[in-house]
Amino acid sequence: MVARDLRRSFRTTQGRLRRTRSEVEAVRGVSFEIAPGETFGLLGPNGAGKTTTIKMLITLLLPTSGSASVLGMDVVADVRAVRRRIGYVFGGDRGLYDRLSGLDNLRYFAELYGVEPREQQRRIGALLELVGMTGREHERVEGYSRGMRQRLHIARGLLHDPDVVFLDEPSIGIDPVGARELRATIASLKEQGTTVLLTTHYMFEADELCDRIAVIRSGEIVAEGTPEQLKRGVASGRVLEVETYGVPAGVVETLGDLGPVHSVAVEERGQLQVLVLQCDADSEVTQDVLSRLGDVRVGRVSAREPTLEDAYVQLVTQ
Amino acid sequence: MSSARVFFVGGLLSFRAQFNWLSPWILVPSLMVSPVAQILLFAYVGRAAGVGDDRFFLVGNALNYAAIPCTFAMTFAISGERWAQTLGLVLVTPARRLPLFLGRALPVIVTGWAVAVFGLGVGSLLLGVRLEVAVWPSLLLAVAVTSVSCTSLGLLMGAACLRIRDGATLGNVVFLVLLVFCGTNVALADLPAWMAAVGEWLPLTHGIEAARSVAAGAPLGDVAGPLVRELLTGLAYGVAGLATLGWMERDSRRRATLERM
Amino acid sequence: MTRLTTRARQLWLCYRLQLKILLVSPFEGFLGVVFPLMFATATLLVYRVEGDPRAMAYAGLGAAVMGVWTSVTVAASSLLNRERWAGTLELLVAAPTPFLMVLVPITTAMATVGLVSVVVTLVWNRLVFGVRLDVASWPLLVLGVLAATVTIAMFGFLLSVVAVRYRTAWALGASLEYPGWLLCGFVVPVSLLPLVVRPLSWALAPTWAVEAMRSAASGGSPWGELAVCLALGAAYAALAAYLGRRLIESARRHATLALT
Repeated sequence: MVARDLRRSFRTTQGRLRRTRSEVEAVRGVSFEIAPGETFGLLGPNGAGKTTTIKMLITLLLPTSGSASVLGMDVVADVRAVRRRIGYVFGGDRGLYDRLSGLDNLRYFAELYGVEPREQQRRIGALLELVGMTGREHERVEGYSRGMRQRLHIARGLLHDPDVVFLDEPSIGIDPVGARELRATIASLKEQGTTVLLTTHYMFEADELCDRIAVIRSGEIVAEGTPEQLKRGVASGRVLEVETYGVPAGVVETLGDLGPVHSVAVEERGQLQVLVLQCDADSEVTQDVLSRLGDVRVGRVSAREPTLEDAYVQLVTQ
Repeated sequence: MSSARVFFVGGLLSFRAQFNWLSPWILVPSLMVSPVAQILLFAYVGRAAGVGDDRFFLVGNALNYAAIPCTFAMTFAISGERWAQTLGLVLVTPARRLPLFLGRALPVIVTGWAVAVFGLGVGSLLLGVRLEVAVWPSLLLAVAVTSVSCTSLGLLMGAACLRIRDGATLGNVVFLVLLVFCGTNVALADLPAWMAAVGEWLPLTHGIEAARSVAAGAPLGDVAGPLVRELLTGLAYGVAGLATLGWMERDSRRRATLERM
Repeated sequence: MTRLTTRARQLWLCYRLQLKILLVSPFEGFLGVVFPLMFATATLLVYRVEGDPRAMAYAGLGAAVMGVWTSVTVAASSLLNRERWAGTLELLVAAPTPFLMVLVPITTAMATVGLVSVVVTLVWNRLVFGVRLDVASWPLLVLGVLAATVTIAMFGFLLSVVAVRYRTAWALGASLEYPGWLLCGFVVPVSLLPLVVRPLSWALAPTWAVEAMRSAASGGSPWGELAVCLALGAAYAALAAYLGRRLIESARRHATLALT
C-alpha cells in the first residue's frame, strides 16, 4: 500500500444567515508505504487526520491532491476492485443493524461483498469462532454489549477474507479483557499474512502489535519508524516524574529552561500534578528541578526509561 | 425568580432550549405545507362525496391540525427533558410548579394558534372560500380557545410520557382520535352516536363547532356556549395534567422513575 | 448467467433482511398501517353521510393503497439519513456491490409493509363500513395492487436519493403524505382536481395503478393503465440510478457521507 503526498481539505460553513465559508486542511501531504503482511500503526491525537487518511485509502473520500494505491490498484480509478480486496472496521458501537441478529448482519454484508453462498456459511462460522461469539449469533444486536458489537464488527470486516484490513480505533470503549482479546485477534491476522493499518490512542497496543508506526499531527506525519526507533529517536534519555501539589504555571515554565530538559508536560491527577520531564540520558537534574520548585509541596520523585507514550506525547505537543 | 419571571422568561427559554433543533426545513413542511394539504384533501373528499361545503372542511381541518403542534410540543416540552436528563435538575429548583409548566405552555399555545390561522388563511385562498373581514376577530378568538384546550391535553400527555416511553406514538394516536371523533370532517350529528358521545368529552370538538358558526357569520354571543364548554374541557385536562405531574414528581422521589430512560 | 443469479440472490437476501428490520419495529408498523387506516376511516365517514354504496366502494378501494404510499414516502425520504445515524451508510458504500442495488431492496421492503395495510384496510372497510367490493377480476386487481406497490417502491428509491442532502428529510417525507393521497386519486377522482395540478397526477405512477385497479374491479381492461404505470416506474428507477451515482461521487468529493 502506497500513499503519496495525500491531501484533503474540507469546506465548512458557519452561521445560518450570513454564511462564512472556510477551508480546513485535514490532511496535508501524507506519504507512507506499507509492505504486504505488515502491521502499520497510525497514531495521533483526535482531529489529526487519521480517519480522513483511512477514508481516502478505502475509497470513501477522494483526495484533494496526491495519490494512493492499495495492492497496486489506484484508490480513485479502480474503486470497485479496491473495495473487493479490503476490509474496514471502525470503533464504537455504531455501524450495525440493531434490529437484526448478529448472524443476519454478517449475512447481509457477506452478500454485499459477493461471498459465494457455500463459502459464506463456512466463513461466517469460522469468524464467529474467531471473535468468540458462537452461540449468541441468533440474538438481536440491540442486546449486545459494546465489546460484542465491536467483535461483530471485526467479523464483518473480515467476511470476504480481505488482503488488507483497516482498523480505525477498534479498541475504543472496550474493557481491558475485551481489548486484550482484540489484540490477540489482530495478531492472528498478522500471522495469516494480512496487511493491517491500525489507528489507536493506546500506546501499548501500538507497541505490542505494530511493525512500524507513523505519528500524525495536524494532518502531517511527524515521525515514522519501528516502535523501538521512535522510543529511541525522540525521547532518547530518561524521564523524570515529580509529583507536586499546586505548582504554579510560571514555575513549570522555568523548569523547561534547564539545559538537559527537553520538554515538560503536566498531568493533572486529582489534587496533585505530575510533572513529566524528558531529559538527556546521563544527566542528573533532580536537584536542580527540586530547587527551582522551591516552596511547592513535592511528593514522590522517580526516574524511568521512556515509553512509546512519552515519545508520542513529546511528538504531538512539540 | 418571581413567579411571573418563571412564567414568561423561563417558559420562553425552555421552549427555545427544547426546540432549537427545529429548523425551517422542519417547520415549513410540517407546520405550513401539511396542514394546508390536509385541508385540501378533505375538502376534495367532501366535494367528491357531495357532503358539506369547503368552509366546513377548511375550519375543521385547520383546527384539527393545530392539535399537532399543541399536543406534540407540549408533550416534548415536558418529556423531552427526560431525554436530556435535565428534568431532575429543573424539579430540584424551588420555583413554583404552576408558573413553571404553564410558562412552557404559552409559546406552545401561540404556535398552535398561528398554525391554525395560517391554515385558515391559505386554505381559504386556495379553495376560494370567502371569510368576511368581520368574522375574523371572533374566529381568531375561537382558534385561541381551541389552542388552549389542545395544549392542556398536551400537558396531560406530557405527564403521561414521563412514565410511558413512546411519546411520538402516543401523539399520533391522540391526533388520529381527534381527527375521527371531534367532528373534524363529519358533523357530530352525522357520526355514529357512540362516536359523537366520545367527541363531546374531547377538546377540539366544541372549538370546531364554535369556529364553524362564526366563520358562517354568527355573532360571538351565539357561540358563547360551545366556547365556554371548550375552555372548561381544556381546563379539566390541564388540571388533570398538573395533578399527574405533581403525583409523578412525588412518586419518582420514592421510586426514582424520572431519570430512568 | 451466474452473475445474474448472484445479483438476484443478493437482491433477495437484502430484501428479506430489510423486511425483517421493518417488521420488528412497532413504530414503523404503526405509522405504516394505523395512520393511513384512520385517514381512510375519516374519508369513509365523510362518504358515509351520503351513503351511496358505489361511491363507498370507489373510495374504499383507493383508500386501501394509501398505506403503501405512506409506508414508502415517509420512510424512504429519511432512509439514507437513518443509515447515516446508524453508522452503516459508509459501510454500505464501501462494499463492492453497487450502492443502488442496496437501496432498491430497502424501498421494496417498505412497499411490502404497505401491502399489509392494503389487506388490513380492505378488511376494515368491509367489517366497519360494510363496503362490499364487487370485483370482476381478482387476478387483475391483485396485479394492479402489485403494480402500485412496485412503482411506489421505485418512487421511494428516487425520493431516498433526492432527499439525502436534507438532514431533516423525515419532515419533508411526512409532508408528501397528504398531497400524494390527493394527487394520486386514491379517494378523489383526478378529474375533480384543478386543471393545473392534473399533469402532476399523471406523472405519478400510482395514479395509473389505482385506475388499473378500478378498471379490473369494474370489468374493464386495465392493461393500458398498467403499461403507463410501469413505464413511469421504470423512468423513476432510471432517474434515481443516475442521480444516485452522481450523489456518491459528490459525497466522496465533499465528504458528506459520514456527517451525523
